[in-house]
Amino acid sequence: MADFEPRIVAFCCNWCSYAGADGAGVARLQMPTNFRIIRTMCSARVDPEFVLRAFAKGADGVIVLGCHPADCHYIGGNYRARRRIALLRMVLEQYGFDPKRLKLEWVSASEGEKFQKTIVEFVDTIKALGPTPLVKEE
Amino acid sequence: MGFVDKLKGLFKKNGDAAAAPKAAAPAAPKAEPAAAAPKAAAPAAAPVKGESTMGGSVYASTCALKPIPGYVPELGAPASGKIKVALYWAAACGGCDVSVLDSDEKVLNIGDMADIVMWPVASDGKEKDIEEMEDGSITVSIINGAVRNQENEHMVKLLRKKSALVVCYGTCACFGGTPALANLVPNGKEEILDYVYKQTPSSAAFCEAYPDKPHVPQTETVVPEGTLTLPGLYDVVKSLDQVIDVDYYVPGCPPTQETLGELLSAVVDFVYNGVALPPKGTMIGVTKRTLCEECPRHKENRRIEAPLEPYQVDVDPDLCLMDQGILCLGAATVGGCGAKCTRVGQPCRGCYGPTDAVTEQGASVFTAVASLFPVIDEDPTCKEDKIIDIMSCIKDPLGYFYAYTMSKSLIKRSVKEGGQ
Repeated sequence: MADFEPRIVAFCCNWCSYAGADGAGVARLQMPTNFRIIRTMCSARVDPEFVLRAFAKGADGVIVLGCHPADCHYIGGNYRARRRIALLRMVLEQYGFDPKRLKLEWVSASEGEKFQKTIVEFVDTIKALGPTPLVKEE
Repeated sequence: MGFVDKLKGLFKKNGDAAAAPKAAAPAAPKAEPAAAAPKAAAPAAAPVKGESTMGGSVYASTCALKPIPGYVPELGAPASGKIKVALYWAAACGGCDVSVLDSDEKVLNIGDMADIVMWPVASDGKEKDIEEMEDGSITVSIINGAVRNQENEHMVKLLRKKSALVVCYGTCACFGGTPALANLVPNGKEEILDYVYKQTPSSAAFCEAYPDKPHVPQTETVVPEGTLTLPGLYDVVKSLDQVIDVDYYVPGCPPTQETLGELLSAVVDFVYNGVALPPKGTMIGVTKRTLCEECPRHKENRRIEAPLEPYQVDVDPDLCLMDQGILCLGAATVGGCGAKCTRVGQPCRGCYGPTDAVTEQGASVFTAVASLFPVIDEDPTCKEDKIIDIMSCIKDPLGYFYAYTMSKSLIKRSVKEGGQ
């Protein structure tokens, strides 16, 4: 399991987390390269179907990043995301996934360091969990 | 077919004046529809050459039948022969077959315009007979039920080979339906067979009484006369289009009478009048929008604190069920059924499947349902655990939201962490 490099999909909202990720890059913060960022206009744009599709296509973990509560560019988008992700985690657990494979975190545009920290922690979590339990059919 | 002829016999007794109009109607008018037929678009579905077995409809002229649009009973079958129809029952409860029978006297109309070559629930017709037919010689096979064992798979593949058109009839065939919830049993068929044949009280008693006998059905048993076989169960229940190529879908649990009429009239219109068939892959009998568009109930600001079952509340006949605390999947389900359930105070369970725009019906439900809970939005400190606490009043969210569409979901089945 030591050489397992997880594949992680990160959904970042356009207004906070994507800018935060950009900040982390500009500041040349070191972090693992296991994640692929998908920019969405808001964390609420992340339909549960997107997350399930990521898992169905073999992602080992999915992380959804949005603006801090009360900071959403669209007033309440992140609250909606928070509810959906909570329900989605219940469903993933019922499927048999470890719910830790799906994470929701708040990263603002100025928090490059928090972005780095979040990614490092999440990659560690997934490395500890191992590859996705989803077995490809056929 | 014997079945249809018998029914005709019954009808004849009641209306004995029947024979006269039949005799008076010669074969002449048939020439016209036969000439029109080649105009149609899909050549693969052209009816088979054969002699017309009936001059005209006997009972159609005597009984006041609800006509199937496009089918003119007086003209009888086209000169090129009646269409051949097969109905098959795979992993399903049988409700779809009953819904066909439920077309009342129209079922006789079906028998009049078509030879039913196979319909295990109501008519004769064996696998052997189908195997002896030429490929593509069945005009339309209407198959209900998901594919769950070797027999289902063998039969649907056989019918696919022998048919010009295959229709997924009912939710199990279209999306997996309720049988597909078996995909969520962690250890698959072993666990299911073990539970059913060893753990349930009656089976446990049998196991105790006959410890030496095999308790779980065997796919092969050797007896003095030879080897007996039973079809083997699969771990994963599949929808029909995951096994064979499918032309049309008719969702519903079971499909409504109107939808059946629509399907048959499309086929009849094609064969008898040369009208082009709908494009392949069409969902028959659904609208573009969700069920909420059809539902007559009045919607207010919905909030659910704890989901209730209809029997736990005095259901208001005009107010949206969600407003009354009943989890209804109408917001994520495609319309077309006429909101039959919600009109009588039962929540929509989602049997028509997702709308065109989404693939995952369950995911649409999360989005709809998650926003109904009284999580205080203005509270930035509310932790995810607390939200989960609030939402865990939904027992079995996966089973509820994917009650009919597990085979077509993205994940499809239960998984096991660390199982590799």
